[in-house]
Amino acid sequence: MLSDSEFAVRLEHLTIRYRTTYESNPTLKGAMLKFGRGRGEKRRKVRVVEAVKDVSFGVPHGTVLGIVGSNGAGKSTLMRAVAGILPPSEGRITVDGRVSTLLALGVGFNGFLSGRENIMLGCLAAGLEMDEIALKYEQITEFAELGDFIDMPMRTYSSGMYGRLAFAVSVNMDPDILLIDEALSAGDARFKEKSFNKMKELCAQARTIFIVSHALGTIQELCTDAIWMNQGELIKRGSPEEITESYLRFLKVGPSAIAMEDV
Amino acid sequence: MTAPSQARRELYGSRQVYEPHKASLPPMGPYLREFWRRRRFAYELSRTTQKADNFDSKLGSIWLVLNPLLLATVYFLLIEVISQSSSGLAGFLHIVIGLFTWYFVAGCISLGATSVTSGGKLILNQSFPRALLPLSSVISAFLRYLPTIPVYLVMYSIGLLIVPASNTGSKALMRPSWAMLWHPALMVILSITGFGLAMIFATMTVYFRDTNKFLAYMLRMWLYLSPVLFTVDALKAKMDHVSIFGVHLGNILIYANPLGPALGIMGDVWVKGVAPAPVLVGAAIAWALVLLFGGAWIFISRERDFAVRL
Repeated sequence: MLSDSEFAVRLEHLTIRYRTTYESNPTLKGAMLKFGRGRGEKRRKVRVVEAVKDVSFGVPHGTVLGIVGSNGAGKSTLMRAVAGILPPSEGRITVDGRVSTLLALGVGFNGFLSGRENIMLGCLAAGLEMDEIALKYEQITEFAELGDFIDMPMRTYSSGMYGRLAFAVSVNMDPDILLIDEALSAGDARFKEKSFNKMKELCAQARTIFIVSHALGTIQELCTDAIWMNQGELIKRGSPEEITESYLRFLKVGPSAIAMEDV
Repeated sequence: MTAPSQARRELYGSRQVYEPHKASLPPMGPYLREFWRRRRFAYELSRTTQKADNFDSKLGSIWLVLNPLLLATVYFLLIEVISQSSSGLAGFLHIVIGLFTWYFVAGCISLGATSVTSGGKLILNQSFPRALLPLSSVISAFLRYLPTIPVYLVMYSIGLLIVPASNTGSKALMRPSWAMLWHPALMVILSITGFGLAMIFATMTVYFRDTNKFLAYMLRMWLYLSPVLFTVDALKAKMDHVSIFGVHLGNILIYANPLGPALGIMGDVWVKGVAPAPVLVGAAIAWALVLLFGGAWIFISRERDFAVRL
């Protein structure tokens, strides 16, 4: 058993619940209708979704952890919880180090601002100082290879350029713990290879990295450890080969070429 | 790049523990430290957001001055026509400074109300002290307020040149005085009040999206109930005959209104040209502190819940 300080991330009986209602937004009208409906009538339906159910595991420093699972398995929720964005409903998360996130929805970019301004805002929100940002900015723009587009509003970007910038920001933040959600599919074949190499470089630096990907080949090549989640539960933990194999068997498709490639 | 050094670890406060909570405050020491460290983020966010907002507008930031000026004209006409008491240019100038200042606070509230709900992407993807978002709204409101200062000073100077010539009795009202130096202190009080209100309304909007729709009407009524278009004395005189439980309604309107005392100070300073009444200053500071701490408590104790509700 490892002592507490040797874990980069430790989850103890983590459960995360969302309360979703059938109303898309909580509004006064809804509240009044609910009020008006009274007790006996059908009330506003509240459905509690358990996105993550009683998950416990520890990740030692330097681990590259792959997370696989079907859609809705709770992978992204788990990542957000580790990043401190979503609070646990039960259990406890201990994170030792600075976290940088690259999550599926982008990095909080405002489409009317240029790439340059978005980088600055992202870095400031992450808690960097202005002089640090100036240094980072060089690395980020060099990596993203956007050319003149860096000073254009981001709404003029293609989705590939958008993803390239998001990836460049995230990997250049010098994080202790890097969380990557479906990011390697950003950009064209050349950028994909470049980001894959960058990932390998980061993995080799003994950083802790969480990768959520449906590209099982990526998981096998980069990760040192893997977990498989299904419907919020941790099904299995093991070596990347073992986990991807079990996962594929579960999907009943076998290790076909389609699932191994980045789709 | 090298692996993060120990020094760096310490700098960024390495260990975080996330646990369930029910509307309770997070550890305030680290929270405030992170908040202070990222204050630049709040500034840059408001600066760039303002730039983005003017993206489609031809006149751009000129609207920041044009808006309150046009409004002042509207209110001036309204008051002149309805009250039929001619206060002339001096009266107009008093309404203008009143509205410029009011729109700073109203800006804090209305921008603050949507600061969290419109920051959805940032909130879902980055972890940072969320109170930076309403703070950024206050900074935005202040950046909008800034250009109105020179505009007002120019108008006031022109007024000084013209008014003594016209013999309408308003000459006494146009008296530059040292008391006007209270204005920066007033702005500090109003900024603190505005930050508190921004946090309260931001939280309300998250749980209750319609808040924003009511807000426009609420602010309009709030304006009429505040000593902006009238001075404290005029408001009291108007309510002279009414009292509730033995308390003068005018006093209730002023002291029960979070913005009443602070805006009353403005009337004392700009209209009467005298140092503000100590009771107004005391009440204004008290309201500012109550709203700052109350707003911070309401906002910060619930902010970890925001990501789930966006």
